[in-house]
Amino acid sequence: MRYALLIIALCLSITPVFAGPPVFTLEIKEHLFFPDEITIPANTKVKLHVKNLDATAEEFESYELNREKVIAGNSEAIIFIGPLDKGVYPFFGEFFPKTAQGKVIVE
Amino acid sequence: MLLNAVIITLREVLEASLIISVFLALSQLLERKLSWLLLAMFVGAVGGFVYGQNLGAVSMAWDGMGQELVNAGLHLLIFLSLLVFMTSVPHQHKKRWRIVTLIATITAVVVAITREGSEIILYLSGAMSIPNMLLPVLIGSIVGAGIGISVGIYFYYLLINMRLKYGMWLGYLFLLLVAGSMISQAVEFLIQADFIHAGKPLWDSSNLISERSVIGQLLYALVGYEATPAPIQVVAYVSSIAIIAVATVISYQFRTPPHDD
Amino acid sequence: MKSIRIYLLLALIATITLVNFVSLLHGYQASMEKAQNLFDARLESTARLIASANSAQVADQNIAEQQTPNTYFQIWGSGGQQLLTRSRNAPDEIIGQLDEGFHEVNHASYRWRNYVYQDRHLNRWVVVAERIDIRYSLAEEVVLESLLPIVMAIPLSALIIWLAVGVGLKPLSVLAQQIRHKKVDDLSPIKMERVPKELTTVVNNTNALLIRLHDAFSREQRFSADAAHELRTPISVLKVHLHNLKQRFGDTDEDIALLKTGVERMGHLIEQILALYRTSPDQAAVKFEDIDLTKLVQSVVARDFEQFERKQQRIELDGEKILIKGNQFALETLVQNLLSNASKYTPEHGDIYVSISSKLGEALLQIEDSGPGIPTDMHERVFERFYRLHGDQHASDIIGCGLGLTIVKDIAAMHQAEIELGTSRFKQGLRVSVRFRLEEKK
Repeated sequence: MRYALLIIALCLSITPVFAGPPVFTLEIKEHLFFPDEITIPANTKVKLHVKNLDATAEEFESYELNREKVIAGNSEAIIFIGPLDKGVYPFFGEFFPKTAQGKVIVE
Repeated sequence: MLLNAVIITLREVLEASLIISVFLALSQLLERKLSWLLLAMFVGAVGGFVYGQNLGAVSMAWDGMGQELVNAGLHLLIFLSLLVFMTSVPHQHKKRWRIVTLIATITAVVVAITREGSEIILYLSGAMSIPNMLLPVLIGSIVGAGIGISVGIYFYYLLINMRLKYGMWLGYLFLLLVAGSMISQAVEFLIQADFIHAGKPLWDSSNLISERSVIGQLLYALVGYEATPAPIQVVAYVSSIAIIAVATVISYQFRTPPHDD
Repeated sequence: MKSIRIYLLLALIATITLVNFVSLLHGYQASMEKAQNLFDARLESTARLIASANSAQVADQNIAEQQTPNTYFQIWGSGGQQLLTRSRNAPDEIIGQLDEGFHEVNHASYRWRNYVYQDRHLNRWVVVAERIDIRYSLAEEVVLESLLPIVMAIPLSALIIWLAVGVGLKPLSVLAQQIRHKKVDDLSPIKMERVPKELTTVVNNTNALLIRLHDAFSREQRFSADAAHELRTPISVLKVHLHNLKQRFGDTDEDIALLKTGVERMGHLIEQILALYRTSPDQAAVKFEDIDLTKLVQSVVARDFEQFERKQQRIELDGEKILIKGNQFALETLVQNLLSNASKYTPEHGDIYVSISSKLGEALLQIEDSGPGIPTDMHERVFERFYRLHGDQHASDIIGCGLGLTIVKDIAAMHQAEIELGTSRFKQGLRVSVRFRLEEKK
């Protein structure tokens, strides 16, 4: 719930300088995704801003979203997803899949 | 952690080891020297290390789409090398063409190992820096690499012990599928970079063969299997295979009778 | 497939690796699953235990401090509305859902597996959670201990396979070595102890072939030698009759002169054939002794001086005392053949130069003439039996049968000497170099 608030805060903080897709921030810390659930609107392209706060690299991977991207330690990456149908799209950190698990909920 | 290390290493090693074993076998069948390939493997490993070390900087280039573009470029380069390789093979009796074949082989091997190797190196260097993960990751990557290399060895001996004609055909067929998979992956990266519109997946076979399953992972490594491919990916896959096949056939047609040069 | 040994090593190691590693993965997965089930069962019983140990319905912040940092618990009262008690490290909110069963949640920078137990008697929920990473590493630690030897065994098996395959293939390399070290003319059967089944056919058939070859060679040799020997007598008789004819009709008769040349040529041929079979390198038990090469050449020149004199050729001999191991008769034949060739092809008043020198453990005999020489591309062919340069167009006044150089080659082979043809020091002409190996002085 706290995270949901954080996301909303982040969304609001993005000033509409350009009419780009909505941005969602995802942090990787101790091989976990924060938040581990992201809710995005259906049929909309969104931009995931993934920050890897660990020293080790991680690979954002989702078979359902058809995305794979390696994020080096202590760095950031941008991943576009969507437009998507309603549903649940799991993603995981390929390098530490036991802990780094999350899902995108499209509503 | 062990299983994860196995899957990551196996997926990357298997792809590289099969490509290399086909090239090794075809160079044996074409009676070419192998030392070039060993050198190319080494250069590829160095390339993978350098790419892995600079991945962070690469990622943030081109508005954060650097990694996608570089990966798409690398896959495209492998595809082009395969195209050149397969069209130049019918002209092996000419020295100029032999050099072209050699360069294509070396490029394909170097780029393939750079691409696959960078991921393994990033994974291993990260995972092994965590003390209680060292052993499982080490064993896992040995197991993954061991299985990948063993399959490569089997494939190599299968090809060179077959009748020359069939061995060449099987090797060609495999390279065709690899070429298609390379293009499909390049397109996937371009979609991810938002350069190409994905559209709705053409089909969803994740219930049939999930990309998570071992078979799904193997098929992905071998022929670029996707459970939910974008239409353009399928089009690119099929047309790239068609292009190479047609180019190879045309190249065979224009083959000049062997003579000394 | 360049080496059977490497093929066997790689194929066997690949097989062992595949089989072992796949079963290792299978075992790993099964063990891990078992371990997880055990952990889950423990988690579930802990939840029940906590539920029965804390039956008070009121909120109590002071109990259950004894939980380790790797686990936490919460007890929710009034159907999940009120937190009755919790371990110190537990969150004060509901993580995930209050749904009986197992769940996985993120909390305090870790991923946890929790078990939600519904205590229906007291209308409350007990949540017990364990850190997943700890569970995993605990289980993995135990399992890995048993996997390590399998991985370590691979390089060891590689070493053992390499050695074992080497031993297994030894008869093959012994056989190869025997065949490789066989001298060209050695037709004795291959001797091998304890021939393995797979090689029996190869060895037996090779030996049978060698014996047949040896028999064929000696038959041919015996036949030619016998034939030549038998022909000697009629030739001598022919010569006597020819002499008588000459006595009767005089020296001037052309037909008799032609007949004489023919008989002489035939006699020469027979002598050469006999020399050839006396000197063939496979002729066993040839007596070798120390021979002064220069002295031997001198004696041959002196003996056959008549042929040079007849054509008024200048012959020069340049040499020092050099001892080589050899057979007197054979070496005489060699020098005699080379000298007679030189004389035959050198025109009248021509030059012939013979030198004997030694350097770098070699004795070098060179005979140079001022004849027409032999084109380079013919150098190999002139050593063939009955081959004569220009075939039938050969200058008919020169007697020869095409065996001279063949005999020279055979004698050289018998002495392990090398022959080389080249151009002579004169304007044109042939240089024949024969290199003998000198025995190393110890």
